[in-house]
Amino acid sequence: MEKNFLQTSIKDSIFTGLIALALFGPIVGLRTVAKNEALVVHPKWLIVTIIVVVCAVGRFLINLYEFRKEQRTGIKSGIGKSIGNFLDTKGAQIALGAIIFSVIFPFLPFTDRYWMDIAIMMLTYIMLGWGLNIVIGLAGLLDLGYVAFYAVGAYSYALFAIHFGWSFWICLPLAGIFAAMFGVLLGFPVLRLRGDYLAIVTLAFGEMIRILLLNWYELTKGPDGLTGIPRPSFFGLPFKRYPDEGVETFHTFFGLEYSPMQRIIFLYYLILVLALITNLFTIKIRRLPIGRAWEALREDEIACKSLGVNPRNTKLTAFAIGAMFGGFAGSFFATRQAFISPESFTFIESAIIVAIVVLGGMGSQTGVVLSTVFLIGLIEVFRDFESYRMIAFGGAMVLIMIFRPRGILATRKPTIILGKKG
Amino acid sequence: MSEKLLDVENLTMKFGGLVAIDNLTFSASKDKITSIIGPNGAGKTTVFNCLTGFYKATAGSMYLNKENERLNLKKFSDFRIAQKAGVARTFQNIRLFPQMSVLENMMVAQHNKLMDASGFTFLGLFNSPSFVQKEKEAVEISKYWLDIIGLTNRANDDAGDLPYGDQRKLEIVRAMCINPHLLCLDEPAAGLNARESADLNKLLLFIKNEKKTGILLIEHDMSVVMGISDHVVVLNYGKKIFQGTAKETKNSPEVIEAYLGTDE
Repeated sequence: MEKNFLQTSIKDSIFTGLIALALFGPIVGLRTVAKNEALVVHPKWLIVTIIVVVCAVGRFLINLYEFRKEQRTGIKSGIGKSIGNFLDTKGAQIALGAIIFSVIFPFLPFTDRYWMDIAIMMLTYIMLGWGLNIVIGLAGLLDLGYVAFYAVGAYSYALFAIHFGWSFWICLPLAGIFAAMFGVLLGFPVLRLRGDYLAIVTLAFGEMIRILLLNWYELTKGPDGLTGIPRPSFFGLPFKRYPDEGVETFHTFFGLEYSPMQRIIFLYYLILVLALITNLFTIKIRRLPIGRAWEALREDEIACKSLGVNPRNTKLTAFAIGAMFGGFAGSFFATRQAFISPESFTFIESAIIVAIVVLGGMGSQTGVVLSTVFLIGLIEVFRDFESYRMIAFGGAMVLIMIFRPRGILATRKPTIILGKKG
Repeated sequence: MSEKLLDVENLTMKFGGLVAIDNLTFSASKDKITSIIGPNGAGKTTVFNCLTGFYKATAGSMYLNKENERLNLKKFSDFRIAQKAGVARTFQNIRLFPQMSVLENMMVAQHNKLMDASGFTFLGLFNSPSFVQKEKEAVEISKYWLDIIGLTNRANDDAGDLPYGDQRKLEIVRAMCINPHLLCLDEPAAGLNARESADLNKLLLFIKNEKKTGILLIEHDMSVVMGISDHVVVLNYGKKIFQGTAKETKNSPEVIEAYLGTDE
């Protein structure tokens, strides 16, 4: 048996090496260089060899490891399982730790402007992930056009703030309501669709919104985008170094030295609070009848009908509430950037958010955080490698799917527990 | 003569040129078990789908007589049959919510009641006392039914992890959670062993006698049909070929012919 196993795993690793060669040979190995006004192929076989050997040996080692594990425990298991067990059992502690860390994060010694920006970006994605989790994770409606609601929120915030001069705290709920209305608008025509068909229509919807923004020049300034979106103020106190005459600012009010970090830290806490509100709302609504109906709808729509659950209202509320949080996140994005254009709302954004939700484990709130940190963090770490960062992104997805095929955190806790007494 | 609960007259269902149900007239009574039997493809499940709003009948009438009103079932579309008219059903291939716990399955069945209590979610978000009270009651109702089928100790497990027989029983008590006047069961004994079908008989008799709910039953398992039905309707090719008590049915030449064929 031992010999047989060695034979198959060697065969397997040679096969892996061949696939790696076929993939990386042309992509990495053949480089065109301009030489004497002509393009010359400049092969780089050394690096290809290294990649192929790493793939083959790595595959062999994985086989070996899996085999040992199998022999020891008698059941098939893997690296993913041990990490997974840890995550499954320690979910609550991880969540608490993450919240404490994120609250003190701006005041940690190594935190600088760069890290703050990344943290704000991650929190925006986490919030979007949590919002989309309602639609995909709970209600089981695969929505590939989520970025449309993000865009609606951003644009409605920007237009209200620019044209009417309303403050952030008025425009934020308005943007949420607008996005929710678009959620219902999308929901109606797709009520009868499920699965792949729904995915296609939502994808088209996302593109329609983007193209609308691009072409409705009178309202949205098209590809030029909207500029001069008012910055948020700390309950009426602006973050400005040289304020207008007679206006008290944040730093004068609190008697601080002016620093641009003050605004960044405020933005950080703003998105942290918004994201946590999204999270708390989802946790609560899961335990209410509507949340249970969403999950039931995901499990079996026909059974829902036979129990008198109204599938139309249930789906529409899921779309609307998911879209609303997308809209909130959008208005935060607008106020942070002070400039928005349709380019920020392309399909790849939707794809990343869907990836975050699916890889995190459908319906799992902590899973969304972990996969955001993993995916967005990876993209950032690989920033210097330019276009190779998408390879890292893809690689991360593949790794998660190999070791945790149902997502990083796939366990689902019942929304109501029948206790011993009560 | 007990009161008629369900009145079906001249029910016809056509799919294009195919007549699935042809001019079917029958009735079901309150606190009686009415069985619909017939060979495969006789149109039994189609009758159920018409009654429970999954299909729109081509012609004919269906009335449900509640205490003091007579409801035209044709006026209700899909989920409203369960919500407004109080007709519950189960399915031939069990349709539970497999990744939700047993208790959650029972709670979803009480959705409409709880939804009203939660003030369309707004009151529920703030834990209003009236909602908390209603939810507690719903849990009690669930527990009552789970006690009856002996699944209370598995209430927090995923419904999909239950053994097959328990899933069948859970689907039936889940349907009972909507407080139906009429319970339509599509082959509840399919795939059950002898002991499990005996348990099922007991459960159905309990529902009939204690809950005074009319039961309409499609079944192939004759031990169930003959053991508990008060009334049997036999269908073949969408037509009613016989109706009577279980005993009469067993001895009817038409029924024997439909099932076994005639000797030439």
